[in-house]
Amino acid sequence: MELENIYYNKHEYVETASGNKVCRQTVLCGSQNIILQGKVIIQADAIIRGDLANVKTGRYCIISKEAVLRPPYKKFSKGVAFFPLSIGDNVFIGEKTLINAAQIGSYVHIGKNCVIGRRCILRDCCVIEDNSVLAPETVVPPFSRYGGSPAAKPAK
Amino acid sequence: MSYITGPEVVSYACTCGLIKPLPKLYFCRHCSQIRCSFCVCSEVDSIFCGKCSENIPSAEATMKKNRCANCLICPSCQQELSTRIASKGPANPTDAKSPIKKTYYLSCYFCRWNSRDVGIPDQPSATGGWPQRDNVHSHRLQDVVDSYKQIMLSQKHKKEHDKKKKIGKFVSYTDRTGVTASALRKKIGIPDTPHALLKKPKMPEPAVASNDVDELPEHLITTPLNLMDITTVEQRLLQPESQPLTVDKLFPVRKQLSIKKSLRCRCCERNVSKPEFNPSSVKFKIQLFAYFHIPEVRIVSLSPLVEGVPSELILKFTNPTQHQTTITLLNLDLAEQENYVKELTVSEVAECLEHSLSLQSKQPGSLTSISVGSGSQPSSLLSLTPRQPSITVKPRKIEQHVNCDVEMPEGAFVLPPRDDAAEYDESSDVHNVEHDPKHVVWRKSNKAFIKLLVVPNANLQANQDVVCGFSMEHIYTNILVATMENKQPQKSHHRVRIFFNLGKITRE
Repeated sequence: MELENIYYNKHEYVETASGNKVCRQTVLCGSQNIILQGKVIIQADAIIRGDLANVKTGRYCIISKEAVLRPPYKKFSKGVAFFPLSIGDNVFIGEKTLINAAQIGSYVHIGKNCVIGRRCILRDCCVIEDNSVLAPETVVPPFSRYGGSPAAKPAK
Repeated sequence: MSYITGPEVVSYACTCGLIKPLPKLYFCRHCSQIRCSFCVCSEVDSIFCGKCSENIPSAEATMKKNRCANCLICPSCQQELSTRIASKGPANPTDAKSPIKKTYYLSCYFCRWNSRDVGIPDQPSATGGWPQRDNVHSHRLQDVVDSYKQIMLSQKHKKEHDKKKKIGKFVSYTDRTGVTASALRKKIGIPDTPHALLKKPKMPEPAVASNDVDELPEHLITTPLNLMDITTVEQRLLQPESQPLTVDKLFPVRKQLSIKKSLRCRCCERNVSKPEFNPSSVKFKIQLFAYFHIPEVRIVSLSPLVEGVPSELILKFTNPTQHQTTITLLNLDLAEQENYVKELTVSEVAECLEHSLSLQSKQPGSLTSISVGSGSQPSSLLSLTPRQPSITVKPRKIEQHVNCDVEMPEGAFVLPPRDDAAEYDESSDVHNVEHDPKHVVWRKSNKAFIKLLVVPNANLQANQDVVCGFSMEHIYTNILVATMENKQPQKSHHRVRIFFNLGKITRE
């Protein structure tokens, strides 16, 4: 099935020199720490917490409406420290999804209403199904499909 | 992405007769045929741990029972366990400067299970040394495994022995005269010892059924049952050797290893897919996916379907190859395919018969077979000839009901080669493609949008899915032969049947 064209209102979006399209209704905290490599689309009401640590995305990423990207933290004896969140190319993040991962590879598809736990590592070419909850510090191997709560490989 | 999230609307018929969406199909370049997951052989290419992304050699994996040595999963919720640090105060409380002693324990961040709950002592090192629990039945299991190994070995020896007997150059006179070694031994007076290879393997002691069963413990009746303490079936089956009844006996389980598969065409036994060795790499050494060879067809738009009334279907054809191709749409002709399958089975039976007959008449090592082997054929060609397939795949009848006619466009249309640079260049969509038939609505670089008329059958039910289909003939350019023999690329017509699930009929 050919995907239908989705049209957007030009007044609602800001386009940068590298082709990123960012909605005016988003919350980008600490924008100096957010790097979008180009052709990235950030839709309305998305939140990116660049004030906690660096957030870096690759090219051609889509961050859907009301998604939250928050760098992960780790507790130490002397307090907490935040770690940067890096995302590869061609990553789709569904609506109302909360991302707390440390690393997301390229060609990853994350469905809507997901929770990606603290310091998860999602390797290239994996799929997280809708409404799944990934436990903290999970490693998702490449070419795998995870779903459910807690997310696991669904039985075929 | 529509292949991951969307429904399967366009499917292709594999050579074997099964119907699958394009990304699940392979294309063997050597046979020039489509292959699906049922007509390829799967092999384990490499074994790795999904958590630590480490390759494990197969011998080591067998030794460790296909489980990772370092990674543990939670026995309660089967998620990966993390190591946590617990500081235990200074080693020497009187000396203020002595370093703080660190200990480690396992904890699940999802269900909050931790190794302290079940009484596993904290470890001084982070990397493990977690106590292994012995299987109570390990001795018995080892006995059984050993005896089966012996049986296997003795059978193997027997087979080899028999083979040696058959092809033996020198005829043993004892075999002819009936004077065997054992008979000779008897004659001379040496006690008869059975041949080492023919010794019967020792069987383990059979298990003994017991009549004594423990009395029903009284506490089961007297104390109230707390369901929170009882394990679930999944939790029990995760540890088949102990099958704990209560949660305080749940111990961490080693994580099971994952594999990377390589796939082989069953007809010519050549690889159609071979992944790279590195567990975190997503690249392939060999990837003959149909997606890279067969033109992709997608549904763009469809006017409402009414039974017996033509409606407009717009399809998008994409040429994935680096060579220009010409596409002709033909009638589906499922009857033709059925006949072909029937003919093939008949001819196969005949061939089998002929083969068995010729085997009988043929002398071993006859002149003809020698002359073929040492003929004037170049050695490179000899190596090219495919190996005898282990399992042949028989094509089957395509089991797909079609309830909608497609009006076939006359003439063919051309799809220009794929150009990766064209996507960045917005102006270049003029490829000088002439003689556009009237069915081509629009085209851009290697894509063409084709308008077709579909007529659902008049007697369709409202809740029935409308399915239509056609045969697509495209010119396949085989560059494999060209690179091997320095010839021009070979062009051939390749035909594939495509089915479309158009959804349900709209009723006013």
